[in-house]
Amino acid sequence: MDIFSNISLILDAKTLALILGSTITGVLIGALPGLSSGMAIALLLPFTIYLEPSQAIAAMAALYCGGTFGGSITAILINAPGAPPAAATAFDGFPMAQKGQAGKALGMAAVSSVVGGVISLMVLITFAPTLARIAYKFGPPEYFALAIFGLSMLASISSKSPVKNLIGGLIGLFVATIGVHLTTGISRFTFGVDELFEGISFVPVLIGLFAMSEILVQASKSELFLERIKFSAIKLPSINEFKSCGKSILRSSGIGTFIGILPAEGGTVSAMIGYNEARRWSKNKENFGKGEIEGVAAPESANNAATGGAMIPTLALGIPGSATTAVILGGFQIHGLRAGPYLFEQQPDLLYTIFYGMLLANFIFLIFGLMGAKIFSRISLIPRGYLWPSVFVFCLVGSYGLSQSMVDVYIMLISGVMGFFLRRYGFSPAPIIMGIVLGELVENSLAQSIIIFDQNIFMFFTRPICLLFFGLTFLSLFYRPIKNLIMKGKKDE
Amino acid sequence: MIKKIQSIFLCFALVVTSLVGMGQVTTVAIAADFPSKPIEVVTHAGLGGGTDTTARMLLIRTRKNLKNNAYITPKKGDSGNKAMAYVKSKPKDGHTVLAITPTHLFRMARGEAALTIDDFVGVARTTVDPIVIFVNAKSPYKTIEDLIKAGNKKPIKYGGTNVGSVDHISGLIFAREAKTKIAFVPFEGGGAIMTSLVGNQIEAAGLNLDEGKDQLDAGELRVLAVMADQRMAALPDTPTLKEKGINASFATVRGVVVLKGTPQSAIDKLEKGFLKAMKHPVYQNYLQGAGLDSSSVAGSKAWDTEIKSIYKEARAALVSLGLAK
Repeated sequence: MDIFSNISLILDAKTLALILGSTITGVLIGALPGLSSGMAIALLLPFTIYLEPSQAIAAMAALYCGGTFGGSITAILINAPGAPPAAATAFDGFPMAQKGQAGKALGMAAVSSVVGGVISLMVLITFAPTLARIAYKFGPPEYFALAIFGLSMLASISSKSPVKNLIGGLIGLFVATIGVHLTTGISRFTFGVDELFEGISFVPVLIGLFAMSEILVQASKSELFLERIKFSAIKLPSINEFKSCGKSILRSSGIGTFIGILPAEGGTVSAMIGYNEARRWSKNKENFGKGEIEGVAAPESANNAATGGAMIPTLALGIPGSATTAVILGGFQIHGLRAGPYLFEQQPDLLYTIFYGMLLANFIFLIFGLMGAKIFSRISLIPRGYLWPSVFVFCLVGSYGLSQSMVDVYIMLISGVMGFFLRRYGFSPAPIIMGIVLGELVENSLAQSIIIFDQNIFMFFTRPICLLFFGLTFLSLFYRPIKNLIMKGKKDE
Repeated sequence: MIKKIQSIFLCFALVVTSLVGMGQVTTVAIAADFPSKPIEVVTHAGLGGGTDTTARMLLIRTRKNLKNNAYITPKKGDSGNKAMAYVKSKPKDGHTVLAITPTHLFRMARGEAALTIDDFVGVARTTVDPIVIFVNAKSPYKTIEDLIKAGNKKPIKYGGTNVGSVDHISGLIFAREAKTKIAFVPFEGGGAIMTSLVGNQIEAAGLNLDEGKDQLDAGELRVLAVMADQRMAALPDTPTLKEKGINASFATVRGVVVLKGTPQSAIDKLEKGFLKAMKHPVYQNYLQGAGLDSSSVAGSKAWDTEIKSIYKEARAALVSLGLAK
């Protein structure tokens, strides 16, 4: 396939300007907690009818790319992930910023995001029609097995004690049960509050657990010692630091692209699994959660790889790979276009415009991110007394703006207070977030599988993909004890 | 000195504009001046979904027709009940419009909703999207009769969205009227249903045509029947259930309503504005892109009658299925 002869498709001033504008809008909207790229695209959708169809779709795709990267900025600087996929970036990004390495974290986020994004786009343009069929192989039983594999990491996802991680995970799973049950239609733990019928919205919980609880932590510190302003904060990462993260970035890009292709899951789960795998294979395991640069690189490359991954079933099959791509498909409709197998056979020009639009978006936010890192990182130099009260306003607006509901604001405040106490008693927010993210999936896919299997639960073991994930789950749980046994056996000989 | 003059001038300008603004507020009460403030369209679904997108496409030209601004307020929660409660709290002056779907009507039919069927008046219908029964192209079921026969031996695994939705109820009514059995598998959305059908996880599904159109054209899915009174223009060879003697017609219909008690002159103006907007190519192209007919659009009288009949059927269906008292 001659990819590069088509680059002229986007080389006119209007298209370039649109892509530039959309990417930067995406980054800024992505950075604001409570505003998501999907929401921005939905709001802009009616206005795109005045554009050429290919320009409109390219602009939306660019906004999507920029938005996914943008979430990392606030995650790193103020512990308020701008969007759910950036939650895992806060685990190590924010501790780095507190150590005076905000610039390094931001720089690493920008570079690893681009690597992840570009790898997934290359996969998109070369293998999309073939890979998209993976989506068909994943039915409820396969999602259940994937979710179980994800949950097997609960104990090890943060360096806090495994027992506390498991308790945190259970809290997350409990929160995920709130709302109407999918297969029975019975409402649980809603106490007659209409807003809770569709479950607890994830974003307010995220803002509460991370940013709001951080405000309380900061407020409980005495101002006896004036922290010295660290000018090293605006330093970018060195070449060696990039090199040391190379493996993690590549691994996460693969994970992100794969999970992105699955219609039911996307950036958030990719970033969590990418983060956990980076920790599993890293030499500096104990540094994770305390400001390890690999802990920023891994989730960022994974969640941006998931954007390209999510576009694969969207474009090749017309099945949205994520919430944002569902809105982009709405954009296809408005312009009377159709995604699906046709796009690849009959409208390659449109496909290439989208591809180049997204590729360009990646390079725009690389430049914007690296130049911006030096400016944004100064936020971490703002004295606490000024910074955190403004973050509080941000938290309120962010959780309200989502669906203009005060209930979301209360959820944010309650999660903030809970998060504060949980942190005081040595719990990490990571397993809680993981529990919430996977809770709904594990419950719904199990209920659906049981109907599909005619109530015979052993049918899970007749499905190859399920067996693969169950095997991985087994290995991830028992790898250490088995290894110890073998080592012991060798010594005895 | 110049600065002082400038600031006096600015103050003066401010006072004048705010006075003009107040003048506008005082005229709101007169119905003949409708619309006197921006029109609010209340939806029950998330941004970017079908209801949201339809409403946004509708408003593009409506703004021009009514020479007035219009915006969308999403009120999610409890299957549209949250949106209904919000609309109920607003004055009956035509400035608040509810985007209504079968979800709202089924919610009302279940009982204890903020509005009852007699609390509002239909203004215009925006889309009609019948439910189509799909199976995998490799499935042994070639006709709707094959499916019905198979269901008698072992319940058909039939996919649809949430319990209590139009997908669910239509599936149950189809099974009852055709004297067959289904095991309903609920999913979170149309995309997941479709992938499960192509991947052979489920045997049949009730989907809107658009949700499975790409896979139908690619030869991965087959359509057996349409749950409508008349065949769809896009599927001229597919029989309706009615032709087969099965009394089950269900569609995802969307439209707009206002509270009963709104001045007729305001309803007429709204209807005219909406209908004109939906005749415009902007909206027509959107319908076409979604695989829908231009006959989707209907005016106040027809739409109002239709809502009442859907409600009546939904109520009867829910009671007979034991899902409502």
